[in-house]
Amino acid sequence: MIIQGTNQHADVREKADVVIVGTGSGGGTLGAYLADRGWNVVMLEKGGFFRAEDFTQREDEAMAAFNGRRGLDSTIDNAIFLNYAEAVGGCTVHYWGDSFRTPPDRLERWRTGHGLDWMTPAELDPHWDAIEGELGIHITEERLLNENNRLVRAGCEALGIEGAPPPTARVDCIGCGWTQFGCPYNAKTSQLITTIPRVSLAGGRVYSDARVDHIVVENGRAIAVEGTLRNRGTGDERAKIRVDADVVVLAGGALGTADILLRNFPDDRVIGRRFYINPHYFVWADFGREIDNATGIPCAYVVHGFRHVRLDDRARYAGGGYIMLTNHQSPGIAAAMLSSTGADHMEHMKRWHHLGSLMSVIDEENPGRIFLGEDGIRRTEYNVKGVDQHKAVDYLKQASRIFLAAGAKEVWIPDVFGTVVRTEADIASKIGLRSVQPNAQFCAGSHLMGTAPIGTDPAASFADPTGEAHRVKGLYVADGAALPGSVSVDPSLTIMGVARWIAAGIHERSGRAGS
Amino acid sequence: MASLLPAGCSADYPQAQSDGISLATLSPKEYAVVRAAAEALLVGVPVEAKDVAIAIDTELAAVGEPIRSDMKNVLRIIEHFTILSLHRRTFTELDPAARLRYLRGWATSRFAVRRGAFQAIRGFVQYFAYIEPATRTLTGFTGPLLEHVTVPPVRTVDYGEIA
Repeated sequence: MIIQGTNQHADVREKADVVIVGTGSGGGTLGAYLADRGWNVVMLEKGGFFRAEDFTQREDEAMAAFNGRRGLDSTIDNAIFLNYAEAVGGCTVHYWGDSFRTPPDRLERWRTGHGLDWMTPAELDPHWDAIEGELGIHITEERLLNENNRLVRAGCEALGIEGAPPPTARVDCIGCGWTQFGCPYNAKTSQLITTIPRVSLAGGRVYSDARVDHIVVENGRAIAVEGTLRNRGTGDERAKIRVDADVVVLAGGALGTADILLRNFPDDRVIGRRFYINPHYFVWADFGREIDNATGIPCAYVVHGFRHVRLDDRARYAGGGYIMLTNHQSPGIAAAMLSSTGADHMEHMKRWHHLGSLMSVIDEENPGRIFLGEDGIRRTEYNVKGVDQHKAVDYLKQASRIFLAAGAKEVWIPDVFGTVVRTEADIASKIGLRSVQPNAQFCAGSHLMGTAPIGTDPAASFADPTGEAHRVKGLYVADGAALPGSVSVDPSLTIMGVARWIAAGIHERSGRAGS
Repeated sequence: MASLLPAGCSADYPQAQSDGISLATLSPKEYAVVRAAAEALLVGVPVEAKDVAIAIDTELAAVGEPIRSDMKNVLRIIEHFTILSLHRRTFTELDPAARLRYLRGWATSRFAVRRGAFQAIRGFVQYFAYIEPATRTLTGFTGPLLEHVTVPPVRTVDYGEIA
């Protein structure tokens, strides 16, 4: 049953086997796994419940309806735009559907660095096999590569750079181009149309517009959560809700989960201290003619050739440490991403239909943090710094090379200096650290991770390797917050796989597995 | 620091009143700054500056804290820190070309906080301008598919009961 909090007027008291806060990649996956096995599941989602008929493909309406803070959130210095969803289905409502298994080298890092011995392909592959089957994940079809994607591929092939269409979570996609504003065709296999209906049809209750404030702990064990049901339009309180459960799972995303934990465990020294975002810088290429840059799916080609960091013979950074994603942006968002002004900006926007675009997914080494301000409101601090700045510069250069090799007339580094690149000599002379100073150009983060990580060391992790909090029994974290660091690729399938593994452990230890 | 700056009154900043606007959250001064910034930033864009300012006022009322207060602080700082650029007049008293030069000075400032203020006002103004369908004549954007073709969902989803 889907219960929209915005329609409720009476206080709610629920009893469940498990209450899950959050309905995205982690919460949806975990909830469906347990619901399928007979658990009495209640899910609480801060955002609203939207279905195919609610998605208009208009950027302003989508941003306001289901992006966190109406699509206007940023770090405290305004240097990084934070892109996340608040809706039933979580970030899968607006994600592009890229679905990568965690690279084996990253699993190894997490095993050796955080004591997560179970993080092996052998352990996770069965979960990914199941999820990929349930979501119909497959390699993106050629027909969904628009001209921007094909040009990037041509540039990569000309330069001998590794790239490929990504595995994608969609079935029978019509290629409308605006998946980031919700899929009106039920083709993108988001949690909204896969795991959430499974939970509902199995007897679970999924509450939208439900904000959780309090984790009730008795004798060192989480026994319930309390919060409020809210008017979706005004945010005003409609009613109170309390859900008592044997197991409490937080899966509200790296921001939402950290927000709740910071309020409930203000003395904890780990929560919010490792905030990863995979910084996204954008490079635009003017091909001097109209190109199809707005159909298909935004990211139908991924440049993998720079994922690994290269070191020189003195072990200094020499390049790499990121992947690149093709993408396209609607006019309003594109306008906000270009740092030009006045007539220059208008001239840039007149060429919107000429533009190819690449964005970075920087595998950062320096995380930021999440904290509560003096007013009690969640804030984020994140600086692209140190070697991560050098990765960003290397990305700007390599993306420029790819576009020039693909035939672009000129490449725009959308910084406040109006940097334009037309030749290899320009790449060497014009692109440098000044372009990646805070607020020198638009930068975004949409792969939010690591704010309540799992690990063996209670001084460095919030939860143990099973996902259960070190200090509170029965309280689990199973979303991007639980990841110990950057995945180096889109983290959605990693989050789903980890959440399903955590769900399997909860199920096994409950004694229900054999029943 | 922005809280120390004068709030201004509608007599000093009559733009909202002359536009016939009942403001949702911006003060008359803040509205005037947004409007003046839009006049400077949106050269040749087929959207009225006042419509962009109204959209931003409406959005800031809806989005709440901390974004609302952060943006209001930015607006007040931009209005009064013209002295840093050796102007004797406030931002709204400058002509649009001078405002644009002033904002460009913030854009390339060595101080990150000034660049941040620039990006905030620029991003808001340009976003709320280009979400308007009127700009499609400029960008060539033909609008989302749903405006042209009705394609039924490729599958129906059964959620069970919805309350």
